[in-house]
Amino acid sequence: MTGIALRPSREPLSDSGRRQLARRRARLSSAAWFLSPFVVLVALWAVLVPALDVSPRTFPSLASVWAVFTSGVTDGSLWTQVFASLARVGAGTGLAIAIGVPFGILMGISRGVSGFFSPLLRFSVALAGIAWIPLATLWLGYGTGAVVFIVFNAVFFAVVYTTMLGVRQISTSLLRAARSLGAGPGRMFVEIYLPGAAPSIVTGLRMGMGFAWRGLIAAEIIATSSGLGYTLFLARQYYETDVIILMMITIGVLWLLMDRFLLAPLERRTVERWGARRQVGT
Amino acid sequence: MSLLSVENLNQVYTDAYTHEEMTAVGNVSFDIPEGQFISLIGPSGCGKTTVLNIVAGFIRASGGSVMLAGKPISGPGPDRGVVFQDFALFPWKSVEANIAFGLKMRGVDKAERKRRAREVIELVGLSGFEAKYPHELSGGMRQRVGVARVLATEPTMMLMDEPFASIDAQTRRVLQQEVLRIWEQERPTVLFVTHDVDEAIFMSDRVIVLSSRPSAVQADIEIPIPRPRTWSDVYADPAFVRIRRELMAMLGVDDDEKGS
Amino acid sequence: MTVDTPVRSQQRSRVETAGAWTGLLRVPGIRTWGPFAVVVAIWALIAELELFPSAFFVGPGTVFETTVRLIERGILPSYIGDSLLRLAVGAGFGVVIGVALGFLIGLNKYARKFSWPMLLFFQAIGDIAWLPILIIWFGFSLTSVTLVIVYTVTFPLIISIVAGIDSIPQNLMRAAASLGAKRWRGIVEVVVPAALPGISSGIRTGLGYGWRALIAAEIIIGTSGVGFMMFEARRQGDVSHVFIGMVVLGALWYATDALILAPFEKETVERWGMVEGIGR
Ligand SMILES: Nc1ncnc2c1ncn2[C@@H]1O[C@H](COP(=O)(O)OP(=O)(O)OP(=O)(O)O)[C@@H](O)[C@H]1O
Ligand SMILES: [Mg+2]
Repeated sequence: MTGIALRPSREPLSDSGRRQLARRRARLSSAAWFLSPFVVLVALWAVLVPALDVSPRTFPSLASVWAVFTSGVTDGSLWTQVFASLARVGAGTGLAIAIGVPFGILMGISRGVSGFFSPLLRFSVALAGIAWIPLATLWLGYGTGAVVFIVFNAVFFAVVYTTMLGVRQISTSLLRAARSLGAGPGRMFVEIYLPGAAPSIVTGLRMGMGFAWRGLIAAEIIATSSGLGYTLFLARQYYETDVIILMMITIGVLWLLMDRFLLAPLERRTVERWGARRQVGT
Repeated sequence: MSLLSVENLNQVYTDAYTHEEMTAVGNVSFDIPEGQFISLIGPSGCGKTTVLNIVAGFIRASGGSVMLAGKPISGPGPDRGVVFQDFALFPWKSVEANIAFGLKMRGVDKAERKRRAREVIELVGLSGFEAKYPHELSGGMRQRVGVARVLATEPTMMLMDEPFASIDAQTRRVLQQEVLRIWEQERPTVLFVTHDVDEAIFMSDRVIVLSSRPSAVQADIEIPIPRPRTWSDVYADPAFVRIRRELMAMLGVDDDEKGS
Repeated sequence: MTVDTPVRSQQRSRVETAGAWTGLLRVPGIRTWGPFAVVVAIWALIAELELFPSAFFVGPGTVFETTVRLIERGILPSYIGDSLLRLAVGAGFGVVIGVALGFLIGLNKYARKFSWPMLLFFQAIGDIAWLPILIIWFGFSLTSVTLVIVYTVTFPLIISIVAGIDSIPQNLMRAAASLGAKRWRGIVEVVVPAALPGISSGIRTGLGYGWRALIAAEIIIGTSGVGFMMFEARRQGDVSHVFIGMVVLGALWYATDALILAPFEKETVERWGMVEGIGR
């Protein structure tokens, strides 16, 4: 496929015209490569399930999943579940950033604080997220509070840790320069520590949200009566495999969308904009 | 007869993202007789590394031919040992294992490998460091390992791409003399890429100057300075001063600073 | 340097107290365990003051007594054994599959192009989301739990092995080729060792995910194991078991890290100077 797409054109073309054509071809071919495995997978699904006469209690047909999807979209129930889940992720993550970043910076600045909290942190990172579900439901009851707590917890520990590393990587000469130019603690925080640690913070955020997304599903299964995880698990009781598969796909697609269009660009942008500044100092 | 012959070499790169084509090497031809030490110099970005990579077999030329001992080059091989600017040592192998790597690939047995590796280690002055890992060595020592690794396999040709560029000035002077001393013992054919005019003159029998992109051979200069050479002799040699001025003018550098 | 004397002395005293504190932190035993002692003390204090109702919060004393009782009755050791066994079996399969696929996808251009988008997608679905359908297929069984863990460990491992292979310096491969290494020798001598940092960080991430998945699966499937114990206790309002579970989970992770992962890294990638000391 690429062979054809990349073969240079034989017609005499203007330089820029040829370049444009080549670029378009390359983009097409990469899109084709991106989609091909999914096409194959869906085709296999469409062919194999009827051919092998698989019971809908074991694996749904493509048509029934599609039907559940369209009805969920038209009556809005799918959106309700999606927004319930997204709102919890948003709340937990926002809280984690608001508390985790300042705390991480404090740990990065002060050897004493980090010396005290580092071992505790290492211990807690392993526990972050899902392991808190029993305690969270005990303290906050079944419901949104417990789920938000789990998300918060997963993001918090990752962000604190990477923020601390980020601050440590800011070069000493940069800190000295800023101080000798008369920057007070507040200014230092805004002008130096925050931008200096930003690339590292975003990396941590991306990692933490990976844990949080899984934690969210688990917490919703265990502790709530709405959201993607809940719907997913409820469907199991009635052997509604079409709902289960639809929910799994939704969970995967949502994460990919978040990662691709929110976290990855954010990471790229901070690394590009501020990563360079950090390197100049080192 | 010449060992390496490069004819009408041409290299066009296509940018992976914009698909713009760029001619790096326009038309380059030169020959290297067996046992000669040749330097390739030219302005930055003129395609020196590209030429060396083609000779090494790492990349395929867009056009022209490269023949080694009458046979076209089809890929990398142990007949052409490469010394890299960034050393390219295997971090997970000790000094000795790095040096013995080529012999191991050739299927030489363990005892012989060890004997030969020790011999070369002695030659490059690294005795006592056999069991160290590359990250435990200084830059100069690492490049000694890089040279030794190539010497151990006794290649017909050695290719070096700015091997001393990332090494401090004093150590560089020492290494240049060392490499010459070793070269005079074994006399492999050498293609040496550098942007340092002094280094090119000091090391070589001939200096080939490439023009800027798309490059062609701009000049091919014999260095009539007798060997063995040392820096103090060479600096005083009138031929050195004359050729240096000539090359500097060719590269468009004003000759107002002595040495670099 | 012209600094006013009062400022200077103030500074010095701050430096000195900081020095004493960090000096204390430099003693290895205190550095690692000191903070835990402080936390336990605060924990005991809070419990003693009864800031929270005892149904929500118990002190270290109670937890300790309950732990001893659970160990005596053999419940805790057997639950820990169950959890560890599940993790070990799942991680074992996961590592084997992950390493094989990781190298295949990392080394073969077409395998890579074809499977990469799908890999990211399946990684995105996340382990726990598989549990319901696995339960339908295999019931509330050990198979379901193990499969979830295999799934969890495999994907991060593949992705980080591929990243590791991608980040091998080009000149290293070229050096090997020009010294006469053919494709397979090149893989064995260069690609595999160069991918080790990727493998070890992949296993670390994978186990991190796997551990959490195990707890969730045990809570949901609920037959035995540490996760089961915690949630069962929570259902009966017995908060001390929940606390024990958390401490045990943390300690086990610490042990896995200190006894398996860290020594492996110390002997390989750290010895070769390929990464800075990890986790210090
Ligand atoms: N893989 C590549 N793809 C596209 N362009 C390349 C590639 N390698 C080199 N070039 C381009 O080809 C030209 C020649 O590069 P080369 O590295 O051979 O120069 P050089 O003479 O070795 O320069 P320097 O003295 O700076 O090392 C440069 O303009 C470079 O940008
Ligand atoms: Mg170059």
